[in-house]
Amino acid sequence: MSTLVQSDGRTHITSSLMRESLVDRRVIAKTHSEREVQIMPDVLLIGIGGQSIFDRGKEALLPLVDELAKARGTQKLVIGVGGGTRVRHTVSVAYDLGLPLGGIAQLVGAMEEANAVFLNALLAKHGSIVMQREHFWELPLYLNTGILPIVISTPPYHFWEPPSEGGPLPSHGSDFGMFIHAEVLGMKRVIFVKDEDGLYDRDPKKHKDAKLIEKTTLSALLANMPEELILDHQLFHAWKNARHVKRVQIVNGLREGMLARAMAGEEVGTVIDKGEANV
Amino acid sequence: MSERRVIESSLAGATLTSSSIESVPYDAVALMPDVKVLKVGGQSVMDRGRAALFPILEELAAAKDAYKILLCCGGGTRARHIYAVASDLELPTGLLAALGGYVPRQNARMLQMLLARHGGIYIMHDDFEKLPLYFRLGCIPILTGMPPFGYWEKPSENGRIPQHRTDAGVFLSAEVLGVKRAIFIKDEEGLYEDDPKKNKAAKHIPRISARALLELDLPDLVLERVVIEYLTRAKFCHELQIINGLERGNLTRALAGEDVGTIIYKD
Repeated sequence: MSTLVQSDGRTHITSSLMRESLVDRRVIAKTHSEREVQIMPDVLLIGIGGQSIFDRGKEALLPLVDELAKARGTQKLVIGVGGGTRVRHTVSVAYDLGLPLGGIAQLVGAMEEANAVFLNALLAKHGSIVMQREHFWELPLYLNTGILPIVISTPPYHFWEPPSEGGPLPSHGSDFGMFIHAEVLGMKRVIFVKDEDGLYDRDPKKHKDAKLIEKTTLSALLANMPEELILDHQLFHAWKNARHVKRVQIVNGLREGMLARAMAGEEVGTVIDKGEANV
Repeated sequence: MSERRVIESSLAGATLTSSSIESVPYDAVALMPDVKVLKVGGQSVMDRGRAALFPILEELAAAKDAYKILLCCGGGTRARHIYAVASDLELPTGLLAALGGYVPRQNARMLQMLLARHGGIYIMHDDFEKLPLYFRLGCIPILTGMPPFGYWEKPSENGRIPQHRTDAGVFLSAEVLGVKRAIFIKDEEGLYEDDPKKNKAAKHIPRISARALLELDLPDLVLERVVIEYLTRAKFCHELQIINGLERGNLTRALAGEDVGTIIYKD
C-alpha cells in the first residue's frame, strides 16, 4: 500500500523512485532489467516503401496487395507505408520557405497517411483497416479477428521533432516510426519492402557496381555504415538500444513472391540481425 | 516495370535518410520569437501545493498582459510512481512514455482551473497551431510539458525511463516557435554540481555552456540530458533558464529578461 510522505514541503507517494531525480544515472540504472515484457511478440510488421513501391502505381502495388491478402489470417501482420515523392516535395518546399525543423516534421506525416488510405482502399475487401494512433490498443482486436491493420508510419514527433545531428531536416521518418512501433510491442521481425534487392554498400541507383549486402549484423553495419542508406539512420541508432526486434529484412517488392518468402522466414533480400544483446 | 512517378524538387529521388540538402541554402524563419515559454516543475512546484504554486500564479497573472506566455507543466511524484510500477512490471520505454503523459496533463488541467479567471486555457498538442489566437485573445495557453512521442519514444540505453520527458517537450516547444530562451520554474536556484537536496555543499553554477556542462559529465543534472545535447545543435532556443520559483519575484525578473538562477547556453 502506498503512503503519502510530506516531510520536505512536497507531497510524495512512496515508490522506488520517490524524491529521485529521474536525470540521475544512478537512479535510471535502477530501472534496468534484462527482461522486458513482449506485448505482442508473434506479430510481424511489414513496411511498404513510398517512393519505391507506391509511386510506381498499380504495377508494383497490386501484386503486393495479393501477397498480403493471401497471408492474412495465416500470420498476424501489421502494415505501415512510406510517403514517397510527395514527402520529398513537401520537405523541399518547406526547406526553401525556411520552416523550422519541427514545422517540417509536422507536415510530412500527411503524405504517409494518404498512402495508408490508398492501400486500405485496395485491401479493404480482404479485411483491412487504417488504424488511427488513438486506436493503438485495438491492435489485438484487429489481429485476433483477422483484420490487417495499416498503421500510421510517421512517428508523432510533429512540432516537437528533436534537432537533427546532420542538418536542418527531420530525422525521425517513417522507417524509424515503423521500427519503434514493432519494438514497443515486442515484435521480433520487421520486413521493409523496397524496389531494390536489399541494402547495398552504395546507392545502386547511382552506382552500377554497388554490392548487395545479403546478410549482416547491426554492429557490423554500424561500424561500416553505407553513406546512402535505404532506411532511416535513426532506425539503426534506436535499434542499438532496442530489446525486442532481432531481425530487419529488406526485400524487393518488384520481384514476385519475395515478400511472401520473407514472411515465411526465408532469408531473401538483405537480412540484418541484431546479433549480440546490446552493441 | 513502371517507373517511379516523381514530382520534380530539390529532393526528388533522394533517400531522405540524411538531414540536409547540400545544394539549397536554408534560412530558418522564427515563427513566434516573442513568446515566453515557461515550465512549472512537477515535483519541485506542483507537489508542494498552494504554498509554492499560488505566489507563482500571482506573478503570472500580473505579467500576463505584458507577455505572450505559453505555460507548460511537469509531472512529479505520480509520474515517478508510474515509472516505478511500470519498471517493476518490466514494460517497455514507449509504454512508460505514454503512461507518464497522464500526470503532466493532470497538472496542466490544475493550472488551467486556477488560471481560468486570468484567461488560462488548457490546450492539447493538436491545438499548437492555434497559439496566435489564444495570444490575440489575451489568454494563457497551458500545455503538458511532455512531447507527444508516447509509444514511439526510443528505448533508452540504460534503464527504461523515457529520455524525452517534460523538460524536452518545453525546450522543443520553444525551439519550434523560434524562442531564444525557455524558462524552467523549479525549487532550486538552478544548476548545482550535485543534487542540492541530498548534498548541502553542492556548488551553484550561475552560467554554463551546454558543451561545458556535458563535459563535466555529472551523474545528475537539473534538466533532462537530451535537452542539453539538443541545445548544442538548436537553431533558435539558445538559452535555458532555471529559476527558483519559491523565491518571490524571481519569475517576474526572469520574464523581464534578467539572468536570475542558472543560464545554460549554446556555445
